[in-house]
Amino acid sequence: MLETLSVFREALYGALVIGIACSVLGVYVVLKRIVFVGAALAQLSSAGIALALFLGGLGVSGQLAHHPVAMSLLVTLAGAMFFGLGAGAKSGVPPDATIGVTYAAAAAAGILLIAKATSGEAHDIFLQGNILGITRADTLVLLAVTVPVLLIHFVFYKEFLFVSFDRETARTLGYRVTAWNLALYFTLGLVIAFAMQFAGVMLVFNFLVLPAVTGLLLARSMGGIFAVAITSGILASVIGFALSIPYDLPSGPAIIACSSLMALIAWCARRLQSR
Amino acid sequence: MTPLVRFERATLGYGRRKVLSDISFEIPSGDFLGLVGPNGAGKTTILRNILGSLAPLGGTVAVQPGLRFGYVPQRETVDSVYPLKVVDVVMMGRYDRIGLGRRPGADDRNRAMQALEHVGIPHLAHRQLSALSGGQKQRSLIARALVGEPTVLVLDEPTEGMDLVATTQILGLVRELHDQDSLTVLMVSHALNEVANYVKRIALVLEGGFRIGTVDDIMNEATLTKMYGIPVDVERVNGHRIVVAGGTTLQGRHDHA
Repeated sequence: MLETLSVFREALYGALVIGIACSVLGVYVVLKRIVFVGAALAQLSSAGIALALFLGGLGVSGQLAHHPVAMSLLVTLAGAMFFGLGAGAKSGVPPDATIGVTYAAAAAAGILLIAKATSGEAHDIFLQGNILGITRADTLVLLAVTVPVLLIHFVFYKEFLFVSFDRETARTLGYRVTAWNLALYFTLGLVIAFAMQFAGVMLVFNFLVLPAVTGLLLARSMGGIFAVAITSGILASVIGFALSIPYDLPSGPAIIACSSLMALIAWCARRLQSR
Repeated sequence: MTPLVRFERATLGYGRRKVLSDISFEIPSGDFLGLVGPNGAGKTTILRNILGSLAPLGGTVAVQPGLRFGYVPQRETVDSVYPLKVVDVVMMGRYDRIGLGRRPGADDRNRAMQALEHVGIPHLAHRQLSALSGGQKQRSLIARALVGEPTVLVLDEPTEGMDLVATTQILGLVRELHDQDSLTVLMVSHALNEVANYVKRIALVLEGGFRIGTVDDIMNEATLTKMYGIPVDVERVNGHRIVVAGGTTLQGRHDHA
């Protein structure tokens, strides 16, 4: 197993960076009950990649058309701002419905655009993610994005927690609730946009939800949730990776299966404890 | 003496939708005001204007500079999925004093413990907030409001969903905080009968209508009949005033029961 891991260690490092960053942000995603915002943002990110490839195929000039990552980032951050500002709740459409509409529209747009992109087939894997293809340079890019994000969340933990937990009281104490909410969604969008390039929609969504759910089931404090979520993300990455290669399984779904198993064990443990 | 809060011919609402018009009243220091009315009448609109999260559509809402609110939200708005200990939740009341990016220290923890003692639940400090009863949770949220050393304690529907015992205890505690600590209190509630026996003044908010005065000014048959638009009796039971609709006496109701 160790030999297998050492062969694909660069890919594993990348997966670990994505897993840790998404697991930390996923705690807010789960506690704030916005798990489908994570899915919608990941889908928007993939639609951004598809749009860039489509425009590039049409010969449209411009920086964004030639840089799928930049286009993906732009579309994802626009989506993050939209959700952070309430997802048009004032229009009368419930926020969860808006999230669903965004998810469906972004998924369809991504598939349609990539189908008509000249380099679509070659880049299809880009949308699905290719975790084994992560190089050292990719990991460094991921670190350059995720380390500042995690530092921001560490330094301003108290503020993010308060505004997420009880925004009305935070507002009365002078907190700029909308700005903090936007900061949370912005950092979430940033991590998702970069993680998506390598991990794909399904795996990013997994890392945003399952480790945090495992943490919520096992821990009795906020620190405990973060610790269990990170540990669960790391374990799922390592075990999923190690099993997927010798058994010739796709790595992403193998990691998700490990995360799901851990969440299931945590759920059983919680049930036993509450008896 | 300058009032802490002053509404002057204020029109309140959301966007283009007016909820209340031409509202004028003041909250002086040391007041214990009950803001009472049914759901949707405009209590929350008035409250949000006082707390500064909503601006008036017209007129003036002036809040004394430096005024500090200790806000106790409705219990159900505090999310029980967060695994937070009571003492950690109480410390949140000092977060703005602690400063941006800084962690609470021993002094903040001590003050949180003192606030919990003040509301009578120091033994619950290390319990999960989600594991507490409604009354205990409400005391925790009052402790959080007190730990920030507020000028005005603002409670939003503090007895919503509570049984008679818990309601009496919570209202008694708020009254005690007002009497002993000379704390200005604004209590929002839909339950006139509950609030009327604890507060000094009542602001009655009914659809489009607003009337403020002492408990005696408001809790009389003429005023309430006019405000509600139906015959209203005010009965006295053991010194407590009880509002009964439709000209039915408490004795009569008892006899029918």
